[in-house]
Amino acid sequence: MKKNLFKTKFNTAVIVLIPVCIGINFLGKFIAAQLKLPLWLDCIGTCVGGVLGGPVIGAICGAVNNLVYTITTGDVQSWPYFLTSIGIGLTVGIMARLGNMEKFGKALATAFVVVVVAVAISTPINVILWGGTTGVVFGDAVFTFLREKGVGLWLASLCDEALIDLIDKFLTIVITFFIVKALPKTITSVYSVGDEIKNL
Amino acid sequence: MAYIEVKGLKYKYPATETMALKGLDFSVEKGEFIGVTGENNSGKSTLCQAFVGLVPNFYRGAYGGSITIDGLDIAKASNAEICTTVGLVFQNPYNQFSGACDTVFDEIAFGLQNIGIEKQEMIRRVNEAMEMLDIAAYRDRNPFDLSGGQQQRVAIAGILAMKPQVLVLDEPTSQLDPQGSEEVFKAIDTMTQAGITIIIAEHKIEKIAEFADKILLLKDGLAADFDTPEKVFSRSDLASLGIDPPVYTLAAEKLGKRKPESGLYPVTLSDAAECIGTDIPRVVLKKRDEYKIEPTFDVSDISFSYDGQKNIIEHLSLKLDSRPTAIIGQNGAGKTTLVKLLKGLLKPTEGSITLAGEDVVGQTVASLSSKIGYVFQNPNDQVFKNNVMDEVMFGPLNIGFTKEEARERSIQALREVQLEWAKDINPYDLGLSDRKLVAIASVLAMDTDIVIFDEPTIAQDRKGKERIADVIRKLEAEGKGVIGILHDMDFVAQCFDRVIIMAKGTILADDEVHKAFTYGPALDQAKLEPPHVAKLMKAIGVGRFALSVDEIEKSATAGEYI
Amino acid sequence: MKSISLYVDKNSIFHNLHSFTKLFYLLTMILVPAIVGSVWGFAAAAAFSFLLLVICGLLKKAMPFVLFTITIVLIIFIVQGLTYPGNETVMFSLGKIEFYREGIMYALRIGLNFWNILFAFALLILTTKPKDMVEDCEQIGLSPKFGYIIASVFQIIPQMTGTMSTITDAQRSRGMETEGKLLTRAKAFIPLMAPVVMSSLINTKERAMALEIRGFNADIKKTYLYTRKLKISDKICLFMMGLSILSSIVFRVVKWLISK
Repeated sequence: MKKNLFKTKFNTAVIVLIPVCIGINFLGKFIAAQLKLPLWLDCIGTCVGGVLGGPVIGAICGAVNNLVYTITTGDVQSWPYFLTSIGIGLTVGIMARLGNMEKFGKALATAFVVVVVAVAISTPINVILWGGTTGVVFGDAVFTFLREKGVGLWLASLCDEALIDLIDKFLTIVITFFIVKALPKTITSVYSVGDEIKNL
Repeated sequence: MAYIEVKGLKYKYPATETMALKGLDFSVEKGEFIGVTGENNSGKSTLCQAFVGLVPNFYRGAYGGSITIDGLDIAKASNAEICTTVGLVFQNPYNQFSGACDTVFDEIAFGLQNIGIEKQEMIRRVNEAMEMLDIAAYRDRNPFDLSGGQQQRVAIAGILAMKPQVLVLDEPTSQLDPQGSEEVFKAIDTMTQAGITIIIAEHKIEKIAEFADKILLLKDGLAADFDTPEKVFSRSDLASLGIDPPVYTLAAEKLGKRKPESGLYPVTLSDAAECIGTDIPRVVLKKRDEYKIEPTFDVSDISFSYDGQKNIIEHLSLKLDSRPTAIIGQNGAGKTTLVKLLKGLLKPTEGSITLAGEDVVGQTVASLSSKIGYVFQNPNDQVFKNNVMDEVMFGPLNIGFTKEEARERSIQALREVQLEWAKDINPYDLGLSDRKLVAIASVLAMDTDIVIFDEPTIAQDRKGKERIADVIRKLEAEGKGVIGILHDMDFVAQCFDRVIIMAKGTILADDEVHKAFTYGPALDQAKLEPPHVAKLMKAIGVGRFALSVDEIEKSATAGEYI
Repeated sequence: MKSISLYVDKNSIFHNLHSFTKLFYLLTMILVPAIVGSVWGFAAAAAFSFLLLVICGLLKKAMPFVLFTITIVLIIFIVQGLTYPGNETVMFSLGKIEFYREGIMYALRIGLNFWNILFAFALLILTTKPKDMVEDCEQIGLSPKFGYIIASVFQIIPQMTGTMSTITDAQRSRGMETEGKLLTRAKAFIPLMAPVVMSSLINTKERAMALEIRGFNADIKKTYLYTRKLKISDKICLFMMGLSILSSIVFRVVKWLISK
């Protein structure tokens, strides 16, 4: 089990999967913006990549996603969060390999772990780079309020980040779950690890 | 030993029960042109992919037997050896682009870089391939911005530059308009002249019959026949094998005309014309006054532009009615734009549109959705549920039917397209042709007064087309308006009563189907060809046109000869 | 097809440099002020890149980047001015709210460095085609497969978003609403998203096959249609930038020795 956890096939199918996953990330963000939803939904592809290709592919999707996002928008401020993206891809990949994306209830557990990981990685970045803020007005209002009330820097920043991540990442994992469930077998079998050609 | 040897070829995809190929044996000589035909899921694509080693190396699964090309055992050969021996062209032009090159020139060079061709040689080969496929004019364009026919030629050039001796094409024109198909067939002809061995799977049977030295007819993963086109298409059991012979063959068959020297039916236009001679029945035109014609849309002097500058639709007026109406024209003629305006998805910049007296322009798409159904060209643009039943129920539920009603209508609609058996299946586990039928059912279930079909017959085989024809006839019988955008003129002749010919955002001709196909200048201007039977009639030199084999047969049985 | 790359197709002194020179410029602009450590260093570096943007005629194209960052910089000033841990001296007050000098200075430092990096980065991406940079990197050892991933993302994103209008039309035709209450809009997310996602994932199979038959997996050293070499101008620039990094280190060490 442990040996298979990080096992990764770098065949052509997986190489081609990564750009599509990044496309899905962009698309999620794009549609959420078009429908004026108060969410980002911008890492669905990373999660799909993690489930289909495993933790390593998930992590690559996350890293490349942020790199490309920065290059195409000039949004330098968001680049350091590639660490968070990698964390999300890794986590979803590991959870999926452990069988935690097969049933809806288990997917919710995965979602919880993803939120914890995302917050754990993003908070230090917020504190180091921006003195604790996230750049999301709503979350930062909470941050300022808590700081004024004398709450510690780290705790206030943690609340700021957790608040904005909670719903977003939960929905992301739920959507990922349904997408992967809906994929036809002919596609998922292309990514399965360890099949050999049988002789007839 | 023959140039290409296929021996006992068997294959089963992973996670499936049935064998896709059940033991194929045949051989091909260098420079031959082989047409592969058979109904959908008969193993055509699997065979094509086996020629380049994707089956079994890409899919894995279970494999038996062998393919050898010029002594190379394909299943065991390295990637680089295969590339320089045999190439494969897929259906969909844009899926086979590397997706990493932004000019045609770079795209063609992509494969050459991978197999380590030296720079000067690379440039020489790319230029040569562009010359051969007549695409040098687009060398600096983005391949994704080209038309389908141009894209497919770029894809072929990318394969050809690697200098394979064998080229396998898997339905290379099924996604293209008639002009694009013509461009691709011309390119294939050039390659045959250059001595390249061609193996092509294709539904456009008249083309295959014209070019092929031999036809490989597949049925359920086995070779039902492998012989000359005339022999294969003269078989009397073709219908049970799931394919139609060329229209020319069918016409000769209905009239009982065989080639005197061989006793076989002709398969090409010129042969058929010679064989049939002028001994040909008089055509009885369909009578359309038997039932009531209800007016539907009234389009009055509309114009439309996407960018506010160039008008896609130019002062167009049109009165539609309940007769099945086909809108034909090349890509870019404004057909889709026109039906989107009818559907309220686009709003005209000037002019008015009414449906049964009610204004369309002022209404929202949602409120029109219960009156006008629209089946988009590509089912992949709308299918999103993970089982067929839910997918079909989505529309009816949106327009306010109860769950029970929606379920009932959906079952009914699935029955009409003969997919009731698939109701619990994931639509993406179905093939593209069946998925299109799901999309059609999902609109039928909404029970709208008008149904618009955008290219319903793409990727359909004989059976699929027959089902769609049934759907259209049923809608017609129920008095519902059917509007179709089509490239398949034989299908237009078979199912539609009225034809509108469009070019450059205007209507060139609008008439009863038999008359519309006599408007030579309009058809020329719209760069359209009449149905195959009409071409045959013209070649025979009969002034009046029968449009389908059915009509020839009907007149033949009526016994009225000229 | 609409490109998502920010590359500006024109001729300027920066366009003519090799992508490695431009990458090294970004690195230099991050390192030098950070090593020097003074607010003035950040200000000077930001001003220098800004000047280059003006000279290359790219200022207009770079403006959206700056606008993008105004909110976050403003937030930093407000939050740090109010809550920075070292806040002691009141600088000014708006009504009851007091802003502190230390916090504002800290925010100034973050803000200036932020803009410094932003300008240097803008110079790089406005003057370099992503595909060229990927190819240059491949030629010095980046895996061609990784290079492919980056290059193809730039084509796949416009393709995927390009089908969105058709999908929106198709679903609206089936009576789906895309406007109205939050719940109505949220419900439209899956019907809009799923068709592209499904077909793109399914297309990956065909694309992967198409790549394989074009030698993507061949065990042969890849050749390149385009090869770009470092020119004299590149070498001079690289030398100057190396020198400035070196001198900033010397400066810092000397300063540290003196303070001891």
